[in-house]
Amino acid sequence: MPADSALVRVSGIHKFFTRGSERVDVLQNLSLEVPAAQFLGLMGPSGSGKTTLLNLIAGLDSPSEGEIWVGDQEISRMSEAQLARWRTRSVGFVFQFYHLMSVLSAYRNVELPLLLLPLSAAERKRQVLTALEIVGLADRIHHKPGQLSGGQQQRVGIARAIVTDPTLIVADEPTGDLDAKSAEEILDLLQELRTSLGKTIIMVTHDPRAASRADRVLHLDKGRLVNETRAEV
Amino acid sequence: MWKFALLVLQNLGRNPLRTTLTVLGTMVLVAVVTLVWSILDFLDKQTAEKSNNLKAIITERWRAPSQMPYSYVRGLSEAGATEPDDFRPLDSMTWAFYGGTIDPKNRTRENSVFAFCMEPEKLLTMMDELDEMQGEPKAEFAATVEKLKQNRRGIIVGRELLANLNKRVGERMVLYGFNYKDINLEVEIVGLFPDSRYNKSSAINIEYLLSALDSYKREHNGTPHPLAANPVNIVWLRVPDMAGYQRASDQILNSPSFSNPAVKIETLASGVGAFLESFRDIIFGMRFLLAPAIIATLALVISNAIGISVRERQMEFAVMKVLGFRPNQLLGLVLVESLLVGTLAGFASAALTYFITNDYFGGINIQIAFFSKFYIPQAALWWGPLMGVGTALAGSFLPAWTARSVKVSDVFAKVA
Repeated sequence: MPADSALVRVSGIHKFFTRGSERVDVLQNLSLEVPAAQFLGLMGPSGSGKTTLLNLIAGLDSPSEGEIWVGDQEISRMSEAQLARWRTRSVGFVFQFYHLMSVLSAYRNVELPLLLLPLSAAERKRQVLTALEIVGLADRIHHKPGQLSGGQQQRVGIARAIVTDPTLIVADEPTGDLDAKSAEEILDLLQELRTSLGKTIIMVTHDPRAASRADRVLHLDKGRLVNETRAEV
Repeated sequence: MWKFALLVLQNLGRNPLRTTLTVLGTMVLVAVVTLVWSILDFLDKQTAEKSNNLKAIITERWRAPSQMPYSYVRGLSEAGATEPDDFRPLDSMTWAFYGGTIDPKNRTRENSVFAFCMEPEKLLTMMDELDEMQGEPKAEFAATVEKLKQNRRGIIVGRELLANLNKRVGERMVLYGFNYKDINLEVEIVGLFPDSRYNKSSAINIEYLLSALDSYKREHNGTPHPLAANPVNIVWLRVPDMAGYQRASDQILNSPSFSNPAVKIETLASGVGAFLESFRDIIFGMRFLLAPAIIATLALVISNAIGISVRERQMEFAVMKVLGFRPNQLLGLVLVESLLVGTLAGFASAALTYFITNDYFGGINIQIAFFSKFYIPQAALWWGPLMGVGTALAGSFLPAWTARSVKVSDVFAKVA
């Protein structure tokens, strides 16, 4: 079980892939803890394993060895179906390229994860409108992704990530496809989610300015944690 | 369940041109199979042996076309029964075929008349399809038959024939015989056949043909018409069951009264089957080559459209998996999209084929043996959706499995 203050506990994980007869170690004996309501940044050069680590914590993949706990659940032992159910309720995802459904309106995109939960149409509507209000897009609910700017699309992506009220939000380069102004707005929004709603956020980024918004930044290289920096309070 | 319906519909609306083309392709192919199956279904029914209330046909054994003396009619109508204990059929009917034209100088298909010369009352009790009429249509046709009984020179014609002849009910016309040469019949159109397979046929009281043959003899110094000795082509019997048929067969074949010329008896289904024997290769091709080939093509059309759609949406499926959609839910979504297209297009096609073929064109005009018109049966209204469902499932399963198997990390790795 993770320590009381840690929402996420990664303990001695290895992750390797095989290419033919060759074994490629992506993560090696990596351990970390992320306390609840912390904004954690993950940095490192390409191929350092940060996105793999993010995917493991988010339950998109399983470690070759080691344990991963989120809250009181050990997700590293879950089956694919169990992980899918767990993700719906417990994790929100923010992608670099937003990955919204082009044929769906902002409203329907945000509603998508709620279709998997036993909620009435009225409950779904309330949660979708609340999420869109939090990200400041209550007046764009009928717009399709193609009718929104990059920054607005990322806000819809964030609304989709928080609509099920997950404890953990993982973001993979959330500002990587945005101009500087939009990137600042998105980072403001993520910080707001942590401070106002108490969300735990883990963000992968290459951008030092984005990383500077995190409470704590872990640096990875060749699958190992090599450095840690903390924001000054 | 319903909350996913809008998602399915919006996915189908993602590429309206592709969806429309898939629907149209499905409709065309379902329509072709429906037409083919309608013909096969009709022929199957005609050749399916009934176990009770079946019809038997008696024809001359060695000649085609069959020609039997009229003196046979009475005995054959009783199935050759002579003793009180002998088997007697439930009903009977006599046919003599008469072909004539209203324009002997310029005989065409349109101005020619093919007539069943028969006992008028048997139109209601022995003629296929007509003997199954009920209620008002039966009462209406019974009134027409009554007119034929009252008017020995009457003729009942099919609707298409009436239009071809450019005549109206109540008009008179002279038919110049071409199989009964020099037997010209002056007939009055007393009514119409119901809309049925008899749309191109007509019926004349057999008494009129026989009296015309008598007149011929009188007018030719006692020389009978060449066909006068053998004017009967077919005698029909209705028997209660196969045992009854067997007894009728034994009585007729063992009777010395029907030995010169000799006759043969067979069930209607068997008779039709024997007649269709010369069409065996065509029917085999329709049943086992054409229809399956079209159905396979239909499955490929659907597979192609859904396959392209799934390939284009790999990223979306990956995102949906990330959001918590389980593999089987993605499989289900793709299958439902395909099933929706297949079922709706199949039903629409079958319904359109049914109404356009039957109501607009008045059936499929194709000559197979002595059947010249085929209708789309009501059962086709479920053949279409069933074909749509079957081919949609077969065609979309592989693409749906691809969607189910999307590996999130692979898809995002490609993007990165």
